[in-house]
Amino acid sequence: MKKKEKKQNKALKVLGKTVGALAVAYAGLFTVFYLDLDGKLLYYVVEPFMQKRFDNMERRDPMSMPYDQIDSEYMKRK
Amino acid sequence: MKRFDLKKLKDLDAKKLAKDFWYGKPHGERRLGDLYIPKTGLYKHREWRGVKDTMYYFNNIWLYNYGHMVTDILKYSGGNPKGLVQFVKGTMRYRWMGQTYLTVMHWFDRCLEGMRDETLRATAWHFRGIVSACLYQIVEMFNRDITLGGDPEKWRKTIAHDETVWGGVFYGFPDVAHIPLQMIPYFVTCHCNNHTVLNYIDAAQALGLPGDPCPMCQAEAGIFLQDDVPDFFPALVTTNEACDGSVATSVIQDWMINKPLFAMPQPMQFDDDSVLENCAKEIEGAIKFTEEMTGVKFDWELLKKKLQDQNELQRNEWEKWDVAANTNSYPINGVGQALYRIFYSQYGDMDCWHETDAKVKKIMDKCVEQKINTFPMTRHRVIAWSCAPLYYSAWCTWAYNCWGLNTIINMDSLMFDMEIRTDSYENCLLDMAKYHEWAPMRRMAVGGLQHIFELWENMEKFNCDMVMMYDQIKCKGMQGVVGLFEDEFRARNIHAIWMPHALPDKRDVSRAEIRKIINDYMFTVMGEEPLDPSLLEFDDSNSW
Ligand code: SF4
Repeated sequence: MKKKEKKQNKALKVLGKTVGALAVAYAGLFTVFYLDLDGKLLYYVVEPFMQKRFDNMERRDPMSMPYDQIDSEYMKRK
Repeated sequence: MKRFDLKKLKDLDAKKLAKDFWYGKPHGERRLGDLYIPKTGLYKHREWRGVKDTMYYFNNIWLYNYGHMVTDILKYSGGNPKGLVQFVKGTMRYRWMGQTYLTVMHWFDRCLEGMRDETLRATAWHFRGIVSACLYQIVEMFNRDITLGGDPEKWRKTIAHDETVWGGVFYGFPDVAHIPLQMIPYFVTCHCNNHTVLNYIDAAQALGLPGDPCPMCQAEAGIFLQDDVPDFFPALVTTNEACDGSVATSVIQDWMINKPLFAMPQPMQFDDDSVLENCAKEIEGAIKFTEEMTGVKFDWELLKKKLQDQNELQRNEWEKWDVAANTNSYPINGVGQALYRIFYSQYGDMDCWHETDAKVKKIMDKCVEQKINTFPMTRHRVIAWSCAPLYYSAWCTWAYNCWGLNTIINMDSLMFDMEIRTDSYENCLLDMAKYHEWAPMRRMAVGGLQHIFELWENMEKFNCDMVMMYDQIKCKGMQGVVGLFEDEFRARNIHAIWMPHALPDKRDVSRAEIRKIINDYMFTVMGEEPLDPSLLEFDDSNSW
């Protein structure tokens, strides 16, 4: 009987902790939402980083592409 | 440092505070403009809409959509986790993706500002439908992109097309994906985060192209010039829709892509029946080309089935229009209505549209049955005409919150206004041709004066008393008819506000300038006062 009770208590504790953790996570997410923290992170941190990355990315020079390429040659490569 | 004002505290009305907390402030007291951080468009804090609607926004819109932005990737990758890897690779490789994708929820914010109850719910479902359809296209692109290690078998079974080629042309091909080249990299990004498109416009002009042609065509070409298009397809279909400006885009695309290309031109003046037959032949040509390029046989039964599904979407749309035109119970705001309609009718049939329509219909039926006035602060019922500003599609939401201008219908929504016959192959092709000819901008912007002037009958049909007349300053078609409209507005005694803009390019006419023009008209001509004065002037010059 005691063993069963102990097990039940343990299960209740785990359940309580899980619910508590979920409640904290939910409240945290609500804070992010309400204070627009997602927007601020994206605007001040993520976008400038991405912008720099794309600005510095090596790209082919469009003017170096011959204008009269032949489609069939392209297909052969595939 | 500010001193604590005890008198102010004493003046606070606890009952009113509690009411505002529970129900949200009434329209005239919201001061939505005070929420912005200058220049950025970010919020000091998001709007408090009362307990019920704030929690709805948090749970059913913000959390739900952020969550689905991940689960949709898996869903459209057939549950394969490699889809997530491809998605991350694509996000890090393509500017239109990496800079734009995560800002989606702020697009929701801008368009849903001030919305409550059924309007908030139904409009958000329209946006959810659009995002799901976008994710489908993005996932399909990245999973096939052979430069990112995509699947070559899938690559072979794909046709790319101009965003202005209607997706229905490819309905008859089982297991062939049809993916527009510019719908996500250009069109959608302008709405979500209009920073990225500027790179593409500049790239086109750096090539030596003049700055004054349509920036839509410039931006579409610029994506290719910037080498920012995934390699997900063996062949492509292009068209001169919406207007011949896009032929120039095709020339640059052809140069940069160098793959088999089928040009499917559609006549500018399309009312003549002999032209229709010619147009049908072009569509048949595109079908044969797809067969040849993908090795998949065209299936007439499948085409019929998909068209019937699409016809159902059109019937749903008519029901929505009926409610919008004849009641005060239409629960979707101007921007939600326009973008959803233009997206699904242009890209074509998908399950997500039917799911969205079912949800929205439920809400709309409730509004009609209970005679709910969904936009109670409406002072004027507005019809928006001509080509719309992509970087400020949320102007409708602003105009309602600030002035009570309720945009009932947009010109672009009224295109494609037909069902397609499936009783015979011949009739079907003719209707497909007509559908294609009635594309956005083509029919009512450059399709001839009789179509451009369909404004008057639609104004009456939708019971509108005001016109928001878009003035795309680089659209050679619509620039030619400004004077004719002016004369008609005067003769018919119609209130019309000319809204200058440059489609995707906010540098030519800023959003603040657009607001100023509307404000001036409302103060000086209409003699009205704003519902929310905090929205009259604010600086959102660097916002998404
Ligand atoms: S805005 Fe005008 S110029 Fe540009 S694609 Fe549309 S119709 Fe053509």
